[in-house]
Amino acid sequence: MKPVEASLTLPNDIETVPQLSEFVETFCEERMVDMSITLSLNLAIEEAVVNVMSYAYPAGTYGEVLVKAIADDKVLTFIISDNGIPFDPTAKADVDTSLSAEDRPIGGLGIHLVKQIMDSVDYQYTDGRNVLTLKKIIHP
Amino acid sequence: MIFNIKEQNEGMLATVSGRLDTPASVKAQQEIEPLLQNADKVITLDCGDLEYISSSGLRLFLTIRKEASAKGGKVIIKNINDEIKKVFMMTGFFNLFEIVTE
Repeated sequence: MKPVEASLTLPNDIETVPQLSEFVETFCEERMVDMSITLSLNLAIEEAVVNVMSYAYPAGTYGEVLVKAIADDKVLTFIISDNGIPFDPTAKADVDTSLSAEDRPIGGLGIHLVKQIMDSVDYQYTDGRNVLTLKKIIHP
Repeated sequence: MIFNIKEQNEGMLATVSGRLDTPASVKAQQEIEPLLQNADKVITLDCGDLEYISSSGLRLFLTIRKEASAKGGKVIIKNINDEIKKVFMMTGFFNLFEIVTE
């Protein structure tokens, strides 16, 4: 099978998250990806994109996030990029999921979910862009 | 409305339904106010119709849970579906709440 590609550009506005979900779900459905995997991919990609929408650009300024989806026989790849402030989300310390409710910090869960769901998460800063590449093996 | 809240015998019952994605969770911050005010009681979150939860939705649950432990109440989560259960497992939330299935 020839790799298939699709892309979506969104403004840094979290109100556009439903559009992102629709994009991911349609892309996965067309590849006949298992429903349960589709749901978790949707979650991982929402977390990664919301992270960009919330932190890549100074508050009140316009910016965009580009989501590119690529599918081949075995792997789904999602490349999330922006031209905002250089920021490596993968450098964040892992969440300690064994802490009690009292001690659990309120943040940091988003990138934790991305790492849990995806088979690989890679960050690069190239040509003035933050590029986060997420891969999920669908048929080993 | 994602959280539909009513008082019941020993505390508060919230029926949580729909998609708790990032924008919905931001709006729902207001909705959970009555639960936070009554966090000294038993708060039951019935998630039978909750389809999806993102980290921002999980943060709302954690906020309620923290308030309950500060005020001496407790939080019971009912009827979460398998997908949300997986998210609870991945984040260690499964151990933070009393989770019951009917």
